[in-house]
Amino acid sequence: MTRKIAIVGAGPSGCYLAQSLLKLCKGDEPQIDMIDRLPVPYGLVRYGVAADHQGTKAVTRQFARLFERQGVGFVGNLSIGAEGDLTLDALREAYDVVVLAAGLSRDRKLGLEGEDLDGVIGAGTLTRCWNDHPDHADDTVTHGKRVVIVGQGNVAMDVLRILAKGAGEFEGSDLSDTHIDRIAAAGIEAIDIVGRSPAHLAKFDPVMVKEIGKIAGLKFEIADLGLSEGQDDPRLEAVTGLESSDDPRCTVTFRFGWTPTRFVGEGHVTAAHFARADGTETLDIPCDAVISAVGFRADDTLERDALVAAASDIDTGRLAPGLYAAGWFRRGPRGTIPENRTDSQAVAEAIAADLADMPEVDKPGSAALFARFDHLTDYAGWQRIDAHEQASAGEGRVRRKLADRAEMLKLALKAMETTP
Amino acid sequence: MNITLLFGTETGNSEMLCEDIESEFEGDHDFTISSLADVDPAAMETNTFHVVVCSSYGDGELPASAQPFADKVEKTKPDLTGLRFAIFGLGDSDYETFGEGSHQLADLLVAAGATQIGPRIVHDVQSGDLAEDVAYPWFTERVAEAEAAMEDA
Ligand SMILES: Cc1cc2nc3c(=O)[nH]c(=O)nc-3n(C[C@H](O)[C@H](O)[C@H](O)COP(=O)(O)OP(=O)(O)OC[C@H]3O[C@@H](n4cnc5c(N)ncnc54)[C@H](O)[C@@H]3O)c2cc1C
Ligand SMILES: Cc1cc2nc3c(=O)[nH]c(=O)nc-3n(C[C@H](O)[C@H](O)[C@H](O)COP(=O)(O)O)c2cc1C
Repeated sequence: MTRKIAIVGAGPSGCYLAQSLLKLCKGDEPQIDMIDRLPVPYGLVRYGVAADHQGTKAVTRQFARLFERQGVGFVGNLSIGAEGDLTLDALREAYDVVVLAAGLSRDRKLGLEGEDLDGVIGAGTLTRCWNDHPDHADDTVTHGKRVVIVGQGNVAMDVLRILAKGAGEFEGSDLSDTHIDRIAAAGIEAIDIVGRSPAHLAKFDPVMVKEIGKIAGLKFEIADLGLSEGQDDPRLEAVTGLESSDDPRCTVTFRFGWTPTRFVGEGHVTAAHFARADGTETLDIPCDAVISAVGFRADDTLERDALVAAASDIDTGRLAPGLYAAGWFRRGPRGTIPENRTDSQAVAEAIAADLADMPEVDKPGSAALFARFDHLTDYAGWQRIDAHEQASAGEGRVRRKLADRAEMLKLALKAMETTP
Repeated sequence: MNITLLFGTETGNSEMLCEDIESEFEGDHDFTISSLADVDPAAMETNTFHVVVCSSYGDGELPASAQPFADKVEKTKPDLTGLRFAIFGLGDSDYETFGEGSHQLADLLVAAGATQIGPRIVHDVQSGDLAEDVAYPWFTERVAEAEAAMEDA
């Protein structure tokens, strides 16, 4: 009997998991369906990875194989969980195995005074907006002339790069003119990027900083290098190697060893306050916007934290019999696309091993879903969206993304419409 | 001919290309596919033609799965005389260090005594070409050269 496996979340972890399962079960392949709350697949590859990193986004060519040649189904526009269209229990009824690869879609909060002021925004929300995520089309901030970025991981560097680039530096990307114009209109003059660690222990990859060094018209100031005295590290080399332009339009200041303490303002943020970890020194930076890039957490729809706490073996992704977790959902908001590949391969091995002992029950799989809902979309629906987006790309752009869910659905559901 | 396809990868493109090459030329040759991570350099057989597919990461570095192999070659200095290989790179021309990963690996194998068959080319993820469309004709040419070289030997 063909096993039915549902993977909730069509991001990189879900895709790598499907790929790996098909390899491990060669000859006795399960029917795999990838379910996503959006009518489009690929998760953060589409909605997190920066618009000017199309090379990284190209990994979707690999994932497309799953749907185009390997028989994996895509069930879009279906959200799973307590507040979703279908409860997790109901989904488990329809499938032998359910894997939660739903990522972590909320920004981690700092838990500081002033975090809810206007002008303070999480990097995940902002980058989703820049990537035209249909749920975040308007979730941006008026940048103003002075921006503070809290955090120094690669996501913080993505935010810095997009804000610091000139309007003409998005050739070959899919950043829409709406976003480019909005950023350009602010005329940002100062960006402070502030991290807790000294430079030699910062979280960014050096190559991300080198890329920022190629942007025209920036002046760089590197503070707090005293904290890294005597250290020899590629990260330190990367920041100290940044060369300033003779005619700068914006100053980028890297600050190290500062913990944020509060954000100040009346209604709208006007300053970000920081202190040394040992309390010896404080720093107040006047600003018009704060972007915090300090990690991610789950939304509550799938009750992730409870599921993970009760897991039988979280290291192999086993949550409960027939229920597994993979990717960021399993191990937290750490790691790039390659790490999800290794992670998903390990979870696939656990599933393949457990399948052998699983009782044979004839589960309906996606037939049960399509029987129950008439708003579901499929892979052909995504292909229509994809073709439309590429065809309507503006000059110097690779695509113009649809940011409106209704428009996406109009295309995705097109062939499925029945004429009266 | 016996052909061993070896991949060095992070996001899986190189592995998929090896699988594509195998399916495309399956009828013509006997293929083995391995991750470079699982290869003992000293145990590489000279009677098979080795075709390496390898990407680049970081700032022109080897992908994670190729690193242990490179470390072993550097540390144990195996004599690879008589070993014939061809190498295909995957890269992204947005990086100044375009194709440096496969370049490093080629240099390392040659320094250990192996013979490189034909030119190394690098698929550019920015190009819009599919890697397999670039790799198949390259592969056919390299195999013909390897066959000729092995007959002469
Ligand atoms: C801003 C940003 C930039 C990044 N840039 C890079 C980069 O350049 N290179 C790199 O290697 N890594 C990058 N990463 C990291 C990378 O995106 C993650 O490692 C990876 O996407 C995690 O994969 P995942 O499949 O676990 O989760 P996700 O990619 O988040 O996928 C989860 C999927 O689940 C769906 N989903 C969520 N809840 C539900 C539900 N209840 N029902 C149905 N579907 C649901 C979502 O719609 C989504 O499609 C970046 C991350 C961020 C946040
Ligand atoms: C963080 C990062 C760094 C990269 N660095 C380089 C590089 O220095 N040179 C290069 O040619 N390609 C670079 N690439 C591009 C990859 O080599 C390319 O995407 C390749 O197709 C990946 O193949 P793989 O999936 O087999 O690892 C980089 C990609 C990423 C995501």
